[in-house]
Amino acid sequence: MGEPSDKRPVFDDDECTGCGLCVDECPNDCIDLNDDDVAFLARPDDCDGCGTCSEECPSEAITME
Amino acid sequence: MISFDDYKDQEPAWCPGCGNFGIRNAFIDAMTGMGMEPHQLVIVSGIGQAAKFPHYVKCNAFNGLHGRALPVATGIRLANHRMHVIVMTGDGDCYGEGGNHFVHAMRRNVNVKLFVHDNQIYGLTKGQASPTSMEGMVTKAQPFGVMSEQFNPLAMAIALDCGFVARGFAGDRAHLAGLFVRAMEHEGFALVDILQPCVTFNKVNTYEWYRERVWKMDGEHDEGDRMEAFKMSLLWGERIPIGVIFRKRRPTYEERNPVISRAPLVEQAFDRSKLAAALAEFY
Repeated sequence: MGEPSDKRPVFDDDECTGCGLCVDECPNDCIDLNDDDVAFLARPDDCDGCGTCSEECPSEAITME
Repeated sequence: MISFDDYKDQEPAWCPGCGNFGIRNAFIDAMTGMGMEPHQLVIVSGIGQAAKFPHYVKCNAFNGLHGRALPVATGIRLANHRMHVIVMTGDGDCYGEGGNHFVHAMRRNVNVKLFVHDNQIYGLTKGQASPTSMEGMVTKAQPFGVMSEQFNPLAMAIALDCGFVARGFAGDRAHLAGLFVRAMEHEGFALVDILQPCVTFNKVNTYEWYRERVWKMDGEHDEGDRMEAFKMSLLWGERIPIGVIFRKRRPTYEERNPVISRAPLVEQAFDRSKLAAALAEFY
């Protein structure tokens, strides 16, 4: 698992297939799927920028910026 | 206006990261984009992870025996061809157990849409080789590697003159949704073979493996040219084409069958005396 950082995940909506892996893997439970089943940072205050979501995403749809 | 949310049903029990999510979401994108409502659809499935699909999407559904989705779908179309009938199946269910039905549904050209979740493994039963597993792939059930030739569904479909033959990739939701729309718009039997990573049991054909190889061939060849399509269907390895490979308008079974060509069976009057006459010879 990555170290906390000041970076935050940025989601590429076109690349996200809505598989939900990031939702499952996020250690701080801050990602949800929206009404169209596209992942987004639902609770940004809980995110510590560890980058687990970005590492796990099979579609490479999440970058840490 | 129909929305994505209107199609959602039970929470899927697929592994997180499964390619089936991409397929499900692309399918709902396609249906909502076409303004199709759940009550207009019947989704038929057999057994497997793909066959759980109708549980996770609102629709009319029939979840039947292993490999036997196509006969049920054919029956539904014969009874009421106003319904849009879709078969959701996997590589094992359709090309293995249901291989015979796969062949003959294409010959009949019944207007059913066949969407095959092709993860090149039996996922539900925990990782045995399927007909599309690549030669040499080692599994718990194939310790010496797969010894059979890999089944090529697209080449077989083109050999049988199937009217719509396409391949999609579960990791490209928008492209796959476009293929679903085109398959739905085609008059006649349509096959979409969908490359689907199995994150738990197939460690060879991963998202990365597919991503390095797939290329969108839309517009790069003549979809109506059967020989060219056949050549395309044989490409597998460093480059794997996705998109519509072959398309041809053939008369459908529903159009050819004189009993239902005018009106669906369900809309026709039921003449009890004819049945009595037919049965009379047995007693």
